[in-house]
Amino acid sequence: MVARVAGVLDEKLAEAIANSKILVVGAGGIGCEILKNLVLTGFPQIAIIDLDTIDVSNLNRQFLFHKEHVGKSKAQVAKDSALSFNPNVNIVAHHDSVISNDYGVSYFKQFNIVMNALDNRVARNHVNRMCLAANVPLIETGTAGYAGQVELIKKGLTQCYECQPKAPQKSFPGCTIRNTPSEPIHCIVWAKHLFNQLFGEEDPDQDVSPDTADPEAAGDAGASALTSEGTATGNVERKSTRAWASDTDYDPEKLFSKLFGDDIRYLLSMENLWKKRRPPTPLTWDNLPGKDNPPTQHTGLPDQRVWTVHECAQVFADSCKVLKADLKRRPDGDHLVWDKDEKSSMDFVTACANIRAHIFNIPLKSRFEIKSMAGNIIPAIATANAIVAGLAVLRAQTLLKGNIESCTSVYLRPKVNHRGQLFVPERTLTPPKPKCYVCAPKPEVALACNLKQLTLKDLNNVFKEGLNMQAPDATVEGKGLVVLSSEPGETDHNNEKTLEEIGLNDGCALLVDDFLQNYEVRVRLQQEDDEKSWRLVTDTDTPMLGPQEDKTNGSNGAKEPKPGPSRSKEESDSDMEIVEEDDGGVTTKAPKRRRTEKSDTVVELC
Amino acid sequence: MVENNEIELSEAEAEQYDRQIRLWGLESQKRLRASKVLIIGLSGLGAEIAKNIILSGVKSVCLLDDENLKEIDLYSQFLAPPDKIGQNRAESSLQRARALNPMVDVTSETKAVDELPDAFFTTFDIVCATGLKQEQLERINNICRDSNKKFLCGDVWGMFGYMFADLIDHEYSEEIVQHRALKRGPDDTEKSARETVSITVKRRAIYVPLQNALSADWTKPELRSRLRRGDPSYFVMKILLRFRDEYNRNPDPAKRKADTEILLRMRDELVKELSIPVGFISDALFMDVFGIISGAAAVVGGVIGQEVIKAVSQREPPHNNMFFFNPVKCVGFVELYGQ
Ligand SMILES: [Zn+2]
Repeated sequence: MVARVAGVLDEKLAEAIANSKILVVGAGGIGCEILKNLVLTGFPQIAIIDLDTIDVSNLNRQFLFHKEHVGKSKAQVAKDSALSFNPNVNIVAHHDSVISNDYGVSYFKQFNIVMNALDNRVARNHVNRMCLAANVPLIETGTAGYAGQVELIKKGLTQCYECQPKAPQKSFPGCTIRNTPSEPIHCIVWAKHLFNQLFGEEDPDQDVSPDTADPEAAGDAGASALTSEGTATGNVERKSTRAWASDTDYDPEKLFSKLFGDDIRYLLSMENLWKKRRPPTPLTWDNLPGKDNPPTQHTGLPDQRVWTVHECAQVFADSCKVLKADLKRRPDGDHLVWDKDEKSSMDFVTACANIRAHIFNIPLKSRFEIKSMAGNIIPAIATANAIVAGLAVLRAQTLLKGNIESCTSVYLRPKVNHRGQLFVPERTLTPPKPKCYVCAPKPEVALACNLKQLTLKDLNNVFKEGLNMQAPDATVEGKGLVVLSSEPGETDHNNEKTLEEIGLNDGCALLVDDFLQNYEVRVRLQQEDDEKSWRLVTDTDTPMLGPQEDKTNGSNGAKEPKPGPSRSKEESDSDMEIVEEDDGGVTTKAPKRRRTEKSDTVVELC
Repeated sequence: MVENNEIELSEAEAEQYDRQIRLWGLESQKRLRASKVLIIGLSGLGAEIAKNIILSGVKSVCLLDDENLKEIDLYSQFLAPPDKIGQNRAESSLQRARALNPMVDVTSETKAVDELPDAFFTTFDIVCATGLKQEQLERINNICRDSNKKFLCGDVWGMFGYMFADLIDHEYSEEIVQHRALKRGPDDTEKSARETVSITVKRRAIYVPLQNALSADWTKPELRSRLRRGDPSYFVMKILLRFRDEYNRNPDPAKRKADTEILLRMRDELVKELSIPVGFISDALFMDVFGIISGAAAVVGGVIGQEVIKAVSQREPPHNNMFFFNPVKCVGFVELYGQ
């Protein structure tokens, strides 16, 4: 017995609710609120999935959790708290990633409505496809600061989540990061790369040394003299940063002199770079600005104050020691994963970013500010989440009453619009885009690449990152030849071969399929000699979708859960990425760049 | 209004409030921490408002209610456990309200509003009233006005809701985004040589008391032109407030049919009284005004909670002076009445 008082809801709705089964994906800020509303309204059968555990920074809005729950499963604690509001409902909690074979199309089919309360694009894309495949209506929600939105996605009737290409993540040219930073963010990206070079997963795309292949330095006497010792990729031939640091036993003073002295002097030798720029100033360990400052009693939070360069160097030394010890404790080959909520990781990036900023005459920032930028933190408040979740559940009720046509998107605006509206509903449902590469009856997309260079391994990445597939299988159209198999080992021997080498040429088409998502797309190959990486094109007029790195601050299935100490604890804070209501324009052509695994920012090739 | 608090936040506060400090800044958080809030009426709406305000980290919240918890409250009131039916709503809500944020001092008061002296209300920085009659609202609003304390009120009936704010003479800061050229080198040619900067400006807003807003003169042309926009929410609120005044209760789901008839009759009277076009306030608006639906309480409680936060933190423009949520169109909008 769930409905308590007759007459509160109209009869038709009360009956529809009594027979409903709802899936809530995500138990964060919006998920907690949705769950509360569903339980109070008397929705009798609810399932909730979340992969995350509770963090202290969630407590300002995820009100089903309290301090004593920190570290526990969000889904489980949310279920327990919500049941105390109404013990008569049935809640099933899954502490799990929604991207899993356990939640296939038939799983989704059992629900009347799926409600997304996610914080990352990868999981949103996945649930979008599952709901399209299962033909279940999806209510998609999100907030960012004061703003938010609720949107219905129904196969054949509305746009899907992937109908509109999402704006690509901001990226920076590699040479700006390595040679000529001009803004604090450039130094922060460099510092995060340095962290990975020293303690994290080494990635050649995250080199932090001077880049001698910088086109701006071309013809530079100093540079050309030096290039002789450089490799074709422009990296100065030397031991890997990690090996070098390890040999010096991570001696902070030696590291400092190398990174902030020698490397800067090397950059100075590339004179062309500094003809129109203010040249950087190398630093020496025992003569740092702020060293002779009288010791002052600082009030307030240390995070909010900008440290002197001397203080940064101290923090650099201290955090290096802690991180080195942490790394040494791990088994051989294991590495650290940068985490903005881990003290030493954040200290290290703050210190390095600021020291480099000082060298390049860029304003220094507080640890608080650097954390926002380095961790891609989207502010989140209880009230906006409550409003969006309230609207979402009201929309679900309208849907259950059978009024799907009136379930238009609603936007919560940070400030009222010119008509005084704070919640702005769309007038009509937005129909699906006929050429959407996900929800069109016969999805199709072109892949522009250099077939002489793109390897099969790269192709697998295109499908996973560009097309958001989890386990792609690809065959050649008309021939049935299996090019890529999701079965481990089946096509791995071809990984390093180029597409040309396995007989694919311009105009060939691949049928690419993801079994879990029940999604198949036809991919036409388009030879472009100049393409350094790859690009997906949905139709001839709108180029889009380069290799892109979404903010992977996702809990829900952004990555398969990797248990153990080195698991990426990428944050689940941002309850959304907002889609602007006046988002009618075509997104700009994505620059050519290569995506780098596990980095938050993309580095373009210069 | 709120005394300027020079004491810095503790590390624990900075950690717990991190995601909101990144939105509204340290100063706002300090102001919040210094403010004392009174919430009148612990229905589902009162519970939503209390939750949002306690989570934000104010100094103290007093929950005032002389009513007992009823079964119908359980549709939206999540602070009072279901086994407390028959007990005082404010007291029953205390334990869960405190658990939301142990850094906030949460108390309860079970006297009726009419039994409390004027001086009681002025011990708070801001009063937020729900579930009261018009006369009671006006009394408290006037007491607050005389002591320069902020006043908000609101209600949810079924899926419909409203809010009114009287912040008297309110000073606040607002962040405005500007674009300006970025200086780098002497002859820097980089493309993105512009940056957006946000600057903070001081602003002021003047409010009117509730009786002015509720007695808006619809013969005036500026109000009549609003009829063309076509949202009847203001009138729906007037009718529901009149129902409460006249029958000393809210529309009762157990008397759905009879109460709907009363509401439609009151609607017809108001249409005549204010010479509103017939059909402007449709019957459909009175179908979902029974009890409090959780989703609507969350929506309106979210708006009211945010307005309390804006008012005490003196940051961002607060709504002046009425907000309505029309569930038929799923629209939420702000209009100024009584000026
Ligand atoms: Zn689509």
